[in-house]
Amino acid sequence: MRSLCLLLLLSLSTVWAAGQEILPFDDDGQRKLYQELTQQLRCPQCQNQNIAESNAVVSIDMREKTYELVQQGHSKQEIIDYMIDRYGYFVHYSPPLNALTIMLWLLPVFALLMMLLFMLRRKKQQQQLISSNAPLEQELNAIIDAYRSKK
Amino acid sequence: MRNWMLYTPLAIFLGVSIFLFTGLFSDPWTRDSALLNRPLPEFDLPDLMQPEQRWNRELLTGEPFLLSVWGVWCPTCKAQLAFMEQLKEQGVKVVGLYYPLPVDPAFGEHFSLGQLQRDVRQQLQQFGDPYQFNILDENRRMSMDLGVSGAPETFLVDAEGRIRMHHVGDINPRVWRQKFEPAMEQIQDQSDTLVQQAEVNQIGASH
Amino acid sequence: MVPELGQIALTFSFALSLLLGTLPLYGSYTGNERALMLAKPLAIGAMVFAGIAFIALSYAFYYDDFTVINVASNSSSVLPWYYKLTATWGSHEGSMLLWVWILTIWTAAVAVFSKQLPLLMQGRILGIMGLIGVGFIAFSLFMSNPFERSLPYFPAEGNDLNPLLQDFGMIIHPPLLYMGYVGFAVSFAFAIAALLGGKFDSTWARWARPWTLAAWMFLTLGIMLGSWWAYKELGWGGWWFWDPVENASFMPWLVGTALIHTLAVTEKRGTYKSWTVLLALAAFSLSLLGAFLVRSGVLVSVHSFATDPSRGVFLLVFLLLVIGGALLLYALRMRSVRSESRYKLFSREVMLWGNNVFLLTATLVVFLGTLLPLFHQELGLGTISIGEPFFDAMFFYLAIPFSLLLGLGPWVRWKQQKWQTLIPPMSMVAIAALVVALGMMSLTQSIQANTALIGLLLGAWVGMSAIGEVGQRIHQFGQGLAGIRKLNASHYGMTTAHIGFAVMVVGIAMTTTYSVERDVRMQVGDSVTLSGYQFTLLDVYDLDGPNYGGEAADLRVERDGRLITNLHAEKRFYTIQRTVMTQAAIHARLSRDLYVSLGEALPGNAWSFKVQVKPFVRWIWLGGLLMALGSIWSLLDVRYRRKVVSRVRHNSAITKEAENA
Repeated sequence: MRSLCLLLLLSLSTVWAAGQEILPFDDDGQRKLYQELTQQLRCPQCQNQNIAESNAVVSIDMREKTYELVQQGHSKQEIIDYMIDRYGYFVHYSPPLNALTIMLWLLPVFALLMMLLFMLRRKKQQQQLISSNAPLEQELNAIIDAYRSKK
Repeated sequence: MRNWMLYTPLAIFLGVSIFLFTGLFSDPWTRDSALLNRPLPEFDLPDLMQPEQRWNRELLTGEPFLLSVWGVWCPTCKAQLAFMEQLKEQGVKVVGLYYPLPVDPAFGEHFSLGQLQRDVRQQLQQFGDPYQFNILDENRRMSMDLGVSGAPETFLVDAEGRIRMHHVGDINPRVWRQKFEPAMEQIQDQSDTLVQQAEVNQIGASH
Repeated sequence: MVPELGQIALTFSFALSLLLGTLPLYGSYTGNERALMLAKPLAIGAMVFAGIAFIALSYAFYYDDFTVINVASNSSSVLPWYYKLTATWGSHEGSMLLWVWILTIWTAAVAVFSKQLPLLMQGRILGIMGLIGVGFIAFSLFMSNPFERSLPYFPAEGNDLNPLLQDFGMIIHPPLLYMGYVGFAVSFAFAIAALLGGKFDSTWARWARPWTLAAWMFLTLGIMLGSWWAYKELGWGGWWFWDPVENASFMPWLVGTALIHTLAVTEKRGTYKSWTVLLALAAFSLSLLGAFLVRSGVLVSVHSFATDPSRGVFLLVFLLLVIGGALLLYALRMRSVRSESRYKLFSREVMLWGNNVFLLTATLVVFLGTLLPLFHQELGLGTISIGEPFFDAMFFYLAIPFSLLLGLGPWVRWKQQKWQTLIPPMSMVAIAALVVALGMMSLTQSIQANTALIGLLLGAWVGMSAIGEVGQRIHQFGQGLAGIRKLNASHYGMTTAHIGFAVMVVGIAMTTTYSVERDVRMQVGDSVTLSGYQFTLLDVYDLDGPNYGGEAADLRVERDGRLITNLHAEKRFYTIQRTVMTQAAIHARLSRDLYVSLGEALPGNAWSFKVQVKPFVRWIWLGGLLMALGSIWSLLDVRYRRKVVSRVRHNSAITKEAENA
C-alpha cells in the first residue's frame, strides 16, 4: 500500500502539481494593494508589529477583512478608513494631520531652511570682511592657483 | 553667533525631558477607543446557549448594560468572573459577547457548538456566572466592528444604545470604582433627567 | 560564590570609577600632577574589575547557576553552551553589565593610546569618562543588579533564552552596537575636556577624530548586523521597520556621520568649531537617549526590555546631569569662540555644511517620528502610530539632494573652487551614472518604476563620482602604482565609504521596488513559480532540537530546468518559552535573495509557505560593510601615527598654556 502511494506520488511529481496562492487575487494591482495595506496597518494588540507579520487573532481577522475589502474593489483609503473607524488612528502607521502632527513635516523643513540660511548669512558677513582687504586676497588666490596648476 | 542661541540645545533637551518624565508614569499601552459615544453597531447573532434565539441591537437597547467580550480560552476573563458576578448581584446587567478563537483544522480542530456550550457552562459554574445571556460572535465580526483587539474587553452601553466606555483589560474592584462607577452615575443622572422630562412632557400633554 | 565575586568586582570597579571621576579633574584644577597621573591606572583598574564581573556572570550562565535570578529567567540547562554564554547579555541586567564593561574598555583604551595627549587633557578626558562610568555602574549595581540571588528558593530549571536571541547574529550584534554607542562617549569626553579647557583650536578635533571614526565603525556594523538578523530571524524578510529601538540606534549614527565630516573641517580648516563640539555632545546624548528609550519602557517596541518606572527615573536623572550639564557648559563656554577661517560659497567647507544640513534634518525626522506619538499621547490628543509610510517618504526626499551633494562634494576643494573647472569631470560622471543606472535597469526588464530609477541614478551618481574622483587624484600624484601609493589611506577610506553608501542606496531602491512575495499552499510534490524560479516542496518532517521541536521543509529551486539550490526551512517550537520561531531558508546571491519561510499546517496535508524573491537585498548590508571598511581604512592612515611624534613638542607647550589658563 505504502509503495503504491509512493509510486502514485512519483508519477504525480512528473506532472507538477501547482501550489495555490492562499489568498488568490484577480490581478497584481489588488495583490500589491493587499500587501501594502497589511504592512501599513498596525496590530492593535501586539507590541510594535504590522498585521502582515503578527499572528494575533485580531491580526488574522484584520487581514481577512482587508482581503475581503480589497476583493470587493475598495480603494486603499477606504480600507484604511474602515479600520480607523473601528480601531482608531493608532491602527495606521501614518499619523492623522493635526496641529501637533503637522510639526512632523514643518519642523524638519524649518530646520533645513534655518541651517541653509545660517550659512548664507555667515558668508555674507565674511564677504564684507574679505572685501576690506581684497587686493591681498587676490594675490593669495593667484599664488594658490599657480601652485595647483604646477601640480 | 548670538549668545542666546547657544542655549537653544539645552532648552530643547529640557523640554523633551519633561515629556519623557511624564511618559514614565503613563502606560504606553493605553489606546483610545474609536467607538466612544457612538451607537452600538448593528448586528444579528445567535445566543450561545440557545442558537435559535437571535440577538440584535434593538433587542438590547432600553436599559444601560455592560457588554463583556470574553472566552473560555482567556485566563484573565476567567479571573474576573467572580467579581462580575458580584456586580450582577448588585443589579448590574451584564451581557456576554463570546469571542471564539479561530479553529485550526490542520490540528484536527473542528468547531463544535456542543463542546463549546459544555466548556462555557462548566467554567461559569465553577468560577461564577455574571451573564444574563451570551451572544456568540461566530466569526468575530461584531468584535471587529467594536474595535476589540482581544479579550477581556468591556463596553458600557447606555439606555439609548450608545457606547459610553470601552475598557481594555480585566474588571476588578479598583477599575470598577475608578472608571465604571463615575460613568454609571453619569448615565443614571442623564436617564433620570430624561425620565423627568418625559414626565413633564406627559403632564404638559395631558393638560 | 562566583556571583558574589562578580558583585564585589563590580563594586570595586564602581569605586575606581568614582576615584577616576574625581581625582584627575581635581588635579586639572589645582595643577596637581600626581592626581592627573592617577587617571591611567584607575582607568585600567576599573576595566579589569568590570571585566571580572562580566566573566563571573558568564560563568554563572555557563554552569546553570539558577540561584541567580537573571540566569534562571534567561537561560536553561538544555540551551547549547554558546547560547548560554551569549545569554549573559540577553537580558536588561546582563546587557547593562556588558555596556559598563565596554565603557571601561574604551576608557582604558583612551588611557593607553593617548600618550601624545598633554597630561592635563588626558586627566580631563579620563575624568569625564570616569563620571559617566560611575552613573552606569551605579545603575547596574543598584537598579538592575545582574547577580541578584533568589535564595533559599530557586527553580530547578531556567526559563530559557528568548528564542529570538538564539542566533549567531545575536552573539555579536549587541557588543558591536554598544561599542558604537559607548564609543561616542570618547568624542563626548574630548569635547567636554575642550570646553573645560577653553581651547578650541584644531588639536582637539585631530585627537578626537580617530576615536570617533572607530566608534562610528562599530555602530555601523552593529546596526547593519541588527538589520541582517531581523531579516533572517523574524521570518518575513523585512530589514528595517522604523521601530523606536532601531530609530534609537539610527539617530546617533546620523549625528555621528555628521560629526566625522565636520571634525575633518575643524581639524583641517579650523572652522565650524562650535558646531563640531555640539555634534560631539549630541552624538553621545542621543546614544544615552536611546538607552533610556529602550530601558525605561516609555515607548512600545518589539525590542524593549521589561519596564520599571524607578529605573526610568534613575536613567532620566542621569541624562539630565550628563546631557543637561554638557549643554549648559556648552552655552556658557562657547561665547568666546569665533571661527576665523575664510572660504567661498563654493568650497569643500560649504559642501560639508550641506552634508550636515541633510544629516541633521534626517536626525530630526527620526527624532520626531519616534517621540511625537509619546508627546501626542501625553498632551491628551490620543494614541497615534508613525511608521513606514512617513519615514520612507521623508527619507526618499532627503536622499535626493543629499546624494547629489555627496557626488559633488569630494571634487570641491577647500577654501574655494572655480565651478567652471568642474563641469567637464562632473558631466563625465553624470553620463557614466546614467549609463550604469539604465544598464542595471534593463536587467530588471521593467523601467516603469520611478522610485527605483531615481534610486539607481543617485547610487550610480555617487558611486561613479567616488571612483572618478579617486582616479583623478591618483593621476595627479603620478603614473600607475606610484600615484596609487601616494594617495593617503584616509582618502581611500572616504571613497570606500561613499561607494558603500551608493551600493546601499541601489540595494534599498531595488529591493523595495522589485521584491515579490506570495503566500502559497503546497503539498509535498507541489511547486510554485515566482520571478522565473520554480520552488518545489520535497518533504516536510518533524524536528527534534535540544530545546525545541517543530517541523522542517525541504524545497528544491530550479530555473529553466537547472537546479539552483536546495532550501531548508524550519518552524521551531521552543518548548520552555512556548514560542514559535520561523527559521527562513535563504539562498543569497549578489543579484537576489530567495527567501522561503514555512507557515502553518493547512487541511489536506498541505502547508503554507511565504515565498519571496528579493533583488539586490544583499547590497544593503554590503553597503554598510563597505562604510565600515572605509572607516577602518581611514584609521590606518599614517597621519594618525606620524603626527604623534611631531606633535610632542607642540603639546608640551599647550600643557603649559592650559595650566596657566
